[in-house]
Amino acid sequence: MVELKNVSVTYESTGVEALSDVSLKVEDGEFAFVIGRSGSGKSTLIKLLMKELDANKGEVYVNGYDLIKLKKRKIPEFRRTIGVVFQDYRLIENLTVYENIAFVLRVIDAPKKQIRKRVPYVMSLVGLQDKADCYPSELSGGEQQRCALARALVNDPALLIADEPTGNVDPELAYELVELLQGINACGTTILMVTHAHEMVRHFGGRIINISEGEVVFDEVIGGAEVEAQ
Amino acid sequence: MKLSSFRYLVRQGFDNVWKNRVMAFASFCVLLVSLLLVGISVLFYININAIIGGIEDKNEAVVFLLDDTSDARVEEIGETLRNMENVSSVSLYTGEEALENLKINMQDYTEVFDSYEDEQILPDAYRIRVADITKMDQTVKAVRELPDVDSVSSPDSFVELLTEARRIITIVASAIIIALLIVSVVIISNTTRASVFSRRREISIMQSVGATKGFIRFPFFIEGMVTGFLAGCFATLMTWFSYDSLVDLLGRFDVLSAIGLGNVIPYSKISAVVTLAYVIAGSVIGAVGSVLSTRVHLKYRAANM
Repeated sequence: MVELKNVSVTYESTGVEALSDVSLKVEDGEFAFVIGRSGSGKSTLIKLLMKELDANKGEVYVNGYDLIKLKKRKIPEFRRTIGVVFQDYRLIENLTVYENIAFVLRVIDAPKKQIRKRVPYVMSLVGLQDKADCYPSELSGGEQQRCALARALVNDPALLIADEPTGNVDPELAYELVELLQGINACGTTILMVTHAHEMVRHFGGRIINISEGEVVFDEVIGGAEVEAQ
Repeated sequence: MKLSSFRYLVRQGFDNVWKNRVMAFASFCVLLVSLLLVGISVLFYININAIIGGIEDKNEAVVFLLDDTSDARVEEIGETLRNMENVSSVSLYTGEEALENLKINMQDYTEVFDSYEDEQILPDAYRIRVADITKMDQTVKAVRELPDVDSVSSPDSFVELLTEARRIITIVASAIIIALLIVSVVIISNTTRASVFSRRREISIMQSVGATKGFIRFPFFIEGMVTGFLAGCFATLMTWFSYDSLVDLLGRFDVLSAIGLGNVIPYSKISAVVTLAYVIAGSVIGAVGSVLSTRVHLKYRAANM
């Protein structure tokens, strides 16, 4: 569950108010698209939810953690409850696909047996079972994105944040990826997907949160293309 | 931390040396040069000390007693000298012995001494050695003040020169070693920082998936330690080879003893200490430098790279 209460974030260095009095609640098991133009505050929202930066004002709760009061030493523990897919994949270049995904489990001291079982399962879920020994540089953009998704999922996180996951892949793959995310969501994982692709959002429909100039200007559930077609 | 995780992180550290071999090689070279610079300076200093120590073996003074001093009084003075501070050895050199030696040295003129057959023409004396040559002056002064002591002959100016030389060498060598240490620390920290900087993205990724600081640092620690250990081993081999060659060269021509100096310390005597110092210093500097350099990248702040 994600909840923001009257949150404001101002960057000290520039004095820019990236988020202004934002209140938001995403329930467990929900799928929400976060849209908005560049500089609207979407990235700030993600950083806030990952505890990469702190709010100047307001309250932030993610997966039961009060991020305003969260102690530094508890940050790693909190981050293990969320999975994040980045636009630029953020894979570790000198680790293989298998090792990149397994890394998350190693971080939490998971038993070897669990790693051997869980990693191939997640790889097959995203269709990368044949690429286990490849390095990120040997993968296509789509494959890298799927590897990043597998890494985000391997720990079975309660919340999955996807930051422009379709930004670097072709439209066909983008739609496939969102379908994959929807499948994951159907298994109970809360998903927050940040995107620029308004067309795609209209196609899938669902809850849309539009951020503009640091404020939530639209937060409603819309019907997708399939709903409209009916 | 579980044993399997520990093993994984150690393996990662070793793997990283190879995976980041260019930066690891740069760190290795910088560590090697730094260790050699400091190590050779220290070896040079302790050898200069040993060579000067060779001269110090000649730290003898002769205490001449008054002509008419009784045998009992001579004994007494000997006891007093033995009990004096800084006097390490005392040996009696009687007037008779001195005369005999004089005769031996002046064999062609023995008739000069014939008329003094039963007389003691040379005074009794004590040869004393001091423990600390730098305090020779004070010791000689104290001996001179003893009753029945006529005079004391000591290599005053030589001792002064020696003490002064050692003082200057100590100051200069210490300054050089400290300067080299500072330069080495700066260069090493910059190199490890550059090495870690090139991997800041990797560190930020690890943080974003919930890795603790310790988990991220440990492979860097191992990596730095391995690089430092190798640099220490290489420094040992290079020092061993060059030191032995130099000792061999000096020994072949017997340069130092020919000019009355002590000898350089043979490598076999210091090899264990040198090896340990190089390997431990290399490993510790490598590991600590590497871990410290990760600090700046481990702060939990926005890292959108």
